[in-house]
Amino acid sequence: MSSDKKEHQLVLNRRTFLKAAGLGIAGVAVGKFPFESFTLDEAMAAAAKAGETAIPTICAMCGPAANCGVYAFTKNGRFTKVAGMKESPVNAGGICPKGQAAPQWVYSPERLKYPLKRVGKKGEGKFQQITWNEAIAIIADTLKRQKEKYGPESLGMLSPARRTYSEYLNRFLIAHGSPNYGHSGICAMQLSFGFHYTVGDWPRAVDYANSDLVLIWGKQPIYSAPAQDGARAYINAKARGAKLIAIKPSMEPDVGLADLWVPIRPGTDAALALAMLHVVVNENLIDKPFVEQWCYGYDQLKEHVQKYPPAWAEKITGIPLNRIVEIARLFATTKRAGIDLGNGVEHVPSSNDAIRAVAILIAITGHLDRPGGNIFGAASKMPRPKSVNMQERYTQAWVDKLVFPEFPKAFQPFAEGTSSAYYGLFNSVLTEKPYPIRAIIAPGSQALVSNRGGKRVVEALKKLDFYVVADVARTADMPYADIVIPLATPYEIDHPFEVRGNWIMARNKVIEPLADYKSIFEFFCDLGVKMGYGADFWGGSMTASMNDQLKPLGMTIDELRKQPTGIKYEMIPKKYETYETVFNRKSPRISKAPFLPQGKVAIYNTSFKEAGYTPLPEWREPPESITGTPELTKKYPLILSDYHTSNVYTASWQRNVPYLREIEPYPALHIHPDTASERGIKNGDWIRVESPHGWMKVKAELYPGIRPDTVMMLHGWWQGCKELGFEDFPLLDGGANVNIMYSVDAQKAFDPVVTAMSSQTLVQVSKA
Amino acid sequence: MSTQYGFSFSKDKCTQCFGCEVACKNWRDGELGVRWRRVYKIWAGRYPDVKLASASVSCMHCTDPVCVKACPVQAIQKREDGIVVGDSNKCIGCKACEKECPFGAPQFGATGKMQKCDMCMNEVDLAKESPPCVETCPTKALQLAKLETKEKQVIEREIQKLIDATLRTG
Ligand code: SF4
Ligand code: SF4
Ligand code: SF4
Repeated sequence: MSSDKKEHQLVLNRRTFLKAAGLGIAGVAVGKFPFESFTLDEAMAAAAKAGETAIPTICAMCGPAANCGVYAFTKNGRFTKVAGMKESPVNAGGICPKGQAAPQWVYSPERLKYPLKRVGKKGEGKFQQITWNEAIAIIADTLKRQKEKYGPESLGMLSPARRTYSEYLNRFLIAHGSPNYGHSGICAMQLSFGFHYTVGDWPRAVDYANSDLVLIWGKQPIYSAPAQDGARAYINAKARGAKLIAIKPSMEPDVGLADLWVPIRPGTDAALALAMLHVVVNENLIDKPFVEQWCYGYDQLKEHVQKYPPAWAEKITGIPLNRIVEIARLFATTKRAGIDLGNGVEHVPSSNDAIRAVAILIAITGHLDRPGGNIFGAASKMPRPKSVNMQERYTQAWVDKLVFPEFPKAFQPFAEGTSSAYYGLFNSVLTEKPYPIRAIIAPGSQALVSNRGGKRVVEALKKLDFYVVADVARTADMPYADIVIPLATPYEIDHPFEVRGNWIMARNKVIEPLADYKSIFEFFCDLGVKMGYGADFWGGSMTASMNDQLKPLGMTIDELRKQPTGIKYEMIPKKYETYETVFNRKSPRISKAPFLPQGKVAIYNTSFKEAGYTPLPEWREPPESITGTPELTKKYPLILSDYHTSNVYTASWQRNVPYLREIEPYPALHIHPDTASERGIKNGDWIRVESPHGWMKVKAELYPGIRPDTVMMLHGWWQGCKELGFEDFPLLDGGANVNIMYSVDAQKAFDPVVTAMSSQTLVQVSKA
Repeated sequence: MSTQYGFSFSKDKCTQCFGCEVACKNWRDGELGVRWRRVYKIWAGRYPDVKLASASVSCMHCTDPVCVKACPVQAIQKREDGIVVGDSNKCIGCKACEKECPFGAPQFGATGKMQKCDMCMNEVDLAKESPPCVETCPTKALQLAKLETKEKQVIEREIQKLIDATLRTG
């Protein structure tokens, strides 16, 4: 165990900080500056100068894994500024615009001020101020009553993008007796699932440092956390001369830095992957010894992929045949090559098969857990803190109660525990099948603007018996809430500790809560105690919770806090080709059966077959597409899809932060200049975008780097910005909520195995 | 004056995150609508052979600043250390500098007086420290350096080439 510094007072002087963090530049030529690491000692040396104070803490502006170390500056008790923490291995001193703009988020006029109880009709937005204790009591009474009458499974929880508190949501559900942890079905878990059940783990990390070729596929490697290691790895690989090939419909800054852009039609990744398998198999570009020793079902694959020649894929993906062949060959024949597969493949009804096909491609070409390839994660010497989740309590009866399993029951629980698809929770309210969810708690989640099918979500919210919104600021769903809980931002609390890779650090309080706030953690502790689950909620104490979790590390939270910039544990040197261990890993299912029944890469997947799904990856069209529904293209000639990540906003949040809103003031549809001019549309024009399911009014951004047959925009638009005079947008038709544009047809819009939801449709675009 | 302060920028490292632009605003209490530092999205070519580059540009503190010459009341000065500073007491808000500046640096906010990047010369000891925009850059695409006049001119020309088309078309 090594720590950067022993024990220090936590107050640094801002000027000194800058000084210590500065560059030694004098007389040095361009591009050759050595980067001096900021040390706490240097900063402390002259910390006497008063004026401002600096508090080491952890950024809270993005997620999942918003774990950049920062120094938060305060003046007279007011949070003013942020700088990156050099000691943090996550961000190494850098901070992105979201992190920089944190003070405006904390002081936004959109912050909730006190707990609220609905007094008007649902959706009307009429509330009455109540106290924290009253709010907790109302929620506890309602949940107890419902539990008695309808069973504990009548409670659902809407998980946010993975946060440290996600585990507390699960804990509450487990204590209560409900399996219905609502997961969006569009983020990370679908990738994790497809990879785990094909290669035994999720080799999400490409070994960028050793790679000669990386295919960046349906992924934004630098936007969601631009200050973190992923972005640095990408830039460094480029500097080293690695070849970067980006496969996605539009060109973002990461593609600008790549060597080759392969513009693919949204939602057709599975078709491309299957055609690449066709090339690799037929040209025998496989790693034969690996396939023979470590793969199950290669012969079936060989026969199966004959259906998917590149000429077939060209029609679907819009990628020229030669290009498909070229990248398949290049990938297969480059020894040190990996595929950085992203979120894009989790927003398609062929999600699981796209992911499986890519996993198989990586495996049979010999790129699994080899230098420069897709590697199984490196570990550090940090003992794992005790999990907050109480997964050991799961039983088969528990799994059987799931209202709309995110993954088939035969594969539950998965990594996060048991889960139901978000959309399924709402659907059950409307259909009452197999039973209606009666209460939903939405902590840091706003399904109306972040989940497909906003119109149906509204209907469900109107009908739902009891809806609790817990957030730091006003949300889109709030008018439908029965109880609103105002939460402290992570800058106003001193918990929890955060772990990222080999680094662990205690969160420190930057300012006193601006109102009578508590944290989301305290909310669940308070509610747990009130419900009678106190024994599972550390008697309501977060200090006790953290001490309990830290036991394996042999320290208390107070001891951890004494390390102002946390503790960095040594990494265990990476071993490659760990097939024996990984391929025999047990799954988290009730049976604990291994992910791979044969102890080999499941090319031909007997687990899926037994559960009634296709054993080999296949192609499914999105609900509306150029090749799937050509009859629609006359009225709706363009493909619409959306971006999941942005450099300035996190999901459907932060449009209220002026410094961020200034950078991207309007919801903008990226449209190719030719496509625009055919319609008389100029840059910045307000336009009408219409699909078979709804319409939006947004601005046109003439975008040279997008397929001319495709238009795309960022999801999550609804909120105004008071400081800049921007009003809210309508939540449904006529607004900028791209989620309403897509099909939610139960047969066509969902992946049959992993419930991923389609974010592709066909649209027409015209001047508004 | 053999060397002077200047920004260097590597377009091969910039992820267009806008961290520098917001850091400038946050650390210098930037007025809404005013952008001392600007990150540009720069397009070239035609689909599918299209290129996208980035540039982070504030005032370049030019070796031969045209704004100084353009200003009718001598409100802009180039200092010995290379920093180009405006004097808002002298500025009459005629925007002659804005018209001439090839980098879009001079900005006019609520006061109507010219304002722009001053390299944080009063906030930071430039001999040893870097300004917040440089400090925050996650990939170190943006740096501050003491540069020979010639080196600095090369950077000026490169940035100008990079952003020229973008600035003209908006
Ligand atoms: S204002 Fe413009 S011309 Fe003057 S020094 Fe700055 S960049 Fe150069
Ligand atoms: S040097 Fe200071 S004023 Fe100039 S762009 Fe950077 S932060 Fe802004
Ligand atoms: S902070 Fe660095 S990477 Fe981000 S936009 Fe500015 S120069 Fe580019």
